[in-house]
Amino acid sequence: MIAIKEIQAVTNLCSGVMAAVHSEFVALAIQNESGPDVRWHYAAGNLNDKYKRITVRFGKGIAGKVISSGSPMMMTNFPHDILGKVTDYPIALAEKLVASYAVPLFFNAVPKGVLLVGKREKYSFTEEEQEVVKDSAQSLEQILKEHLL
Amino acid sequence: MEDLHVKQQISSYIIQSQEEEIKRIALELHEGVGQNLYSILTGLQVVESAIKEQQLKKYVREMESLIEKTIQEIRLLSVELHPPALTTLGLLPAVKSYIKLYTSTFGILVDLESTGEEKLIPEQNRIAVFRVCQEALANIAKYADTSNVKIYFVWNKEELTITIQDFGKGFQVEEHIENHHSYGLAAMMERMHLTGGQCTISSKIGEGTSIELSLPL
Repeated sequence: MIAIKEIQAVTNLCSGVMAAVHSEFVALAIQNESGPDVRWHYAAGNLNDKYKRITVRFGKGIAGKVISSGSPMMMTNFPHDILGKVTDYPIALAEKLVASYAVPLFFNAVPKGVLLVGKREKYSFTEEEQEVVKDSAQSLEQILKEHLL
Repeated sequence: MEDLHVKQQISSYIIQSQEEEIKRIALELHEGVGQNLYSILTGLQVVESAIKEQQLKKYVREMESLIEKTIQEIRLLSVELHPPALTTLGLLPAVKSYIKLYTSTFGILVDLESTGEEKLIPEQNRIAVFRVCQEALANIAKYADTSNVKIYFVWNKEELTITIQDFGKGFQVEEHIENHHSYGLAAMMERMHLTGGQCTISSKIGEGTSIELSLPL
């Protein structure tokens, strides 16, 4: 299987969405081919390489909640106004994200991935920006379906 | 003096009661809910193998995958609450097991070294030291801004010393404690004090923080 970070179309799309919504960070998490683990396979604008070692916990943090619910989620002022503990949000802690917006990636109608954009300051992503991220996630689903499935 | 002693005993009693309850919940999750879900998973696998219709087969497979994820989360939750190794194998294996979970949760690498012969510690003290290590590691994930942590266990005849060193941004310890910015740090110290041990925190801005725990054996 080709590594996701090596798929040019994926990196182009992620860079595109990062620029379009003026975010400082973008990352893509996908469930492993075998087993239930979901890991961050690609990131841009990262401060360190912690994301490579993080396994997304099902139902925890922004990415875990997006995968378990299959719905987009936004955080505008981390660590304020969050559900659960601060330590439930490892990618926000690792990358010092204050605002983030994440959408699910569906494969065979099941949420198996997350596209996340983030900023290191208080921010609320506009409706238009949310649509850009959702559209990018749909394009990523198509690209990844061809490469991974 | 007498009052202080009674207060300490009450604190110990409250902590012990909470720990017993946490242990009960962790065990119930692991042995009860987790095992039941595993039985359901096995049952679904049998059902799946008997199904001929492809669409339905795929649907059952997705249900299996969801149960697998839930089983894994229950297992991790149970380790976080009270690692089974803490009761069965001891402090060092429990910390090693927690470190694996910690790295996969926060992406922070932890290097653990142990010198000397590991000794058996009474369960109450074992839990206390484990909780203080857990709190120290959580604080590192929250505030230290670092990717590497070193933990040293040194077992002597009369004492166990544990040093947890991050190489992060550091902070003003006195200022934090005096201004009550962190009850977490005070709780770590108090918890070690109740075991008859000590907790010393030192930190330098730009160089990182070092937490030294000592426990009489």
